Amino acid sequence: MNCQPKDFKSDLKPIWCPGCGDFGVVQAIYRALAAVGRLPHDIAFVSGIGCSSRIPGYTTAYGFNSVHGRALPIAQGLKIANPDLLVLVAGGDGDGFSIGGGHVAHAIRRNIDLTYIVMDNQIYGLTKGQLSPTSKQGLQTVTSSLGSLEQPVNPLLYVLSYGAPFVAQGTPADMAGLAAVIEEAIRFPGFSFVNVQSPCVTFGEDDWQLKQHKAVMKSLQSLGHDPADVIAAMRLAQGYGHELHTGVFYRAPQPPPTYDALVRARQQEQAGKALPRERVLELFAAKKKETAA
Amino acid sequence: MATSLETPKPKARKPKPQLDPDLCKGCLRCIDSCNHHCLVPGHDIDPRTGLIPIELHLEACTACGLCFDACPEPYGLRPERLEEIPTGQPEFERPTDADHLKRPPRPKPVDIPDVLRELPLGATLVLKGNHASAIGALLAGCRHFYGYPITPSTEGAELLAKLLPKLNGIFLQAVSEVATVNLMYGTAGAGLRTMTFTSSPGFSLMLEGVSYMIGAELPAVFVNVMRGGPGLGNIAPEQADIKLACRGLGHGNTHAIVFAPSTPQEMLDLTRQAFELAFQYRNPVVLLADGYLGQMTGRVELPKALVQPGLPKWAVAGDAAHRDNLISSIFLAEADLEAHNRHLDDKYARMAREARAESWQCEDAEVVIVACNTPARMARGAVAELRQRGVKAGLFRPITLWPFPIDALAEALSGASRLVVVEASAGQLEDELRLAASHAGLALPPLAAVRHSGGVLPQQDEIVAGALAALAREVTAPTASKSADPCDCSDPECGCGDEE
Repeated sequence: MNCQPKDFKSDLKPIWCPGCGDFGVVQAIYRALAAVGRLPHDIAFVSGIGCSSRIPGYTTAYGFNSVHGRALPIAQGLKIANPDLLVLVAGGDGDGFSIGGGHVAHAIRRNIDLTYIVMDNQIYGLTKGQLSPTSKQGLQTVTSSLGSLEQPVNPLLYVLSYGAPFVAQGTPADMAGLAAVIEEAIRFPGFSFVNVQSPCVTFGEDDWQLKQHKAVMKSLQSLGHDPADVIAAMRLAQGYGHELHTGVFYRAPQPPPTYDALVRARQQEQAGKALPRERVLELFAAKKKETAA
Repeated sequence: MATSLETPKPKARKPKPQLDPDLCKGCLRCIDSCNHHCLVPGHDIDPRTGLIPIELHLEACTACGLCFDACPEPYGLRPERLEEIPTGQPEFERPTDADHLKRPPRPKPVDIPDVLRELPLGATLVLKGNHASAIGALLAGCRHFYGYPITPSTEGAELLAKLLPKLNGIFLQAVSEVATVNLMYGTAGAGLRTMTFTSSPGFSLMLEGVSYMIGAELPAVFVNVMRGGPGLGNIAPEQADIKLACRGLGHGNTHAIVFAPSTPQEMLDLTRQAFELAFQYRNPVVLLADGYLGQMTGRVELPKALVQPGLPKWAVAGDAAHRDNLISSIFLAEADLEAHNRHLDDKYARMAREARAESWQCEDAEVVIVACNTPARMARGAVAELRQRGVKAGLFRPITLWPFPIDALAEALSGASRLVVVEASAGQLEDELRLAASHAGLALPPLAAVRHSGGVLPQQDEIVAGALAALAREVTAPTASKSADPCDCSDPECGCGDEE
């Protein structure tokens, strides 16, 4: 049975503000999931807390609306428990790079086969407009009357420098492109990261909305970027914050083994060395007889 | 060649080891390295160090030098000086002899007391509870705020974000509640006033740090604007964290004074007092508000004075006087930790005198309604309505939940035959009340409950109905005695353990 994008749409009506970029993201996810061809009950969608973390409820996949910042550890637990599930993780920039920032690095190191989609709007929307870790320097918000004094996190460079084997970026201003990178991320065997520039219409900056995305976005393919070149990817990722590159920054030419694969390999290795169960029982019985005598 | 004809120089004698016993910690590594058994474990404790230095018997020493390498102490076992080192050429010096390392006598730290500055009497303000609490903190001299946005508490942080930069203060939005509490730990260690606004799930995250701060005896104020739980719950008001704040402030033997304001005015006054008590007892103080109270606007009068904070002498303040101060919650020796816990227990016992409550119309009350935070407002309305209907009702409102104002409750209950506990939680306030009564040996009259949770608040008519039903209900158990002495009979039929 082949699923259509609409089969992944749940009956819940999104309560995002009209015009929110996340509407486009969820549409792109429907398309990507349909293209991948897995059934809704084969998929688990884990999120943290935030506007964007409502997303699992809007799909027909299994959903897990978890703890603020902890979507990645929960998703890892889920995937380890049931490796056959296709596990998607979604969250915002605050969830991923502020309160959950510590988890991203270790999810990458562990390389469990997850797809992590961050809806990056450079602001805290759910709590009504506070500074986020990706807010640009100088941004005035309700919690930064002096303007943001801290350098923004560059999510692309962050994950690249920890060795993420798949790193891409998209925007709902380019639906087809976004659906394509999410599909490719899902298909990638290992940890894959998609940063989606998903503007906040209510608290975001007026000059960084979908209209501006459309005008300035450049696909990496059109720039002739080779996604196997991690150094070039890092150079391009430096543009985060003033340029909008879409497409795949880096795809490891030889995907490193996943955690699951390594565990199985080690187990097989050990299995050869261990005594079979019957032999162990025999030894026990002999020992027992010896002590009894 | 000429040189080969010269008589060979006598071979320089290799140096044998020498040891300053003060600098030997008795680790015995040199003994393992010596092949000639020249070094043996010592017997006598060095009175200056309290350690047992090794002893040297160098008759068999070949000056192989292996022991020098084995010694981990930079000034420990080292080659003997074969010739006097010319003056003016310092070799390794014993650190204790080096003049530049000798500590100059330094001033003793003293408490710099707070100064009260009179405030001009201003107009009455109309403030949100969260804003009132933020202003209370400013008037208490708090200039360091750390926090993480969480509804329904964020307005307090937002106001401080606006005001603190203008007052040479620091507002910092942390990356999480875990970061927040540790930023506070640092600032409190420097002896400064610090606070945060948070709500239930955020407070849960802070508890590890709260336990550390209690262990290290540091003052700070946590305003927890409680919301519905468990888990993510919702952002509506609940009294969900009474148990957490009164009984579960992180691991270990932890307690803190817990305030339960019920008006914006109290949000301001109690926040201000919270700082005072935090520094008086060197312990965190928790202000438990609820989602309604945080968002509710009300009339607020400013106090007559504001506090210009001093500096406590225990602070790690970064000057010569405070150099010996150490902030720590680690006591590795079991007996030390027990002694520290005893000290904390004494402190908690002293805090009992901070118990506060309001009794309203309890003097002749037959039914006493107990409530705090926003539910106390409905309870007050219910008491007024019951009085209008000719029912002698009274309101007992604990203002501190820990320590629980049990003496005041005993007085309020002196003529009461029924007790109604009204709360927006599944019995957390009642549990605190029962526990306090049990410890105090106070026999409670038959107890009824009006409870809601999930963000639904008990309404006035429900409370009235609950009180009337409680009064109408026949009491099968013997009427509880109002005396402070508990019944200590062992008769299972007596029913002295049952309240209902």
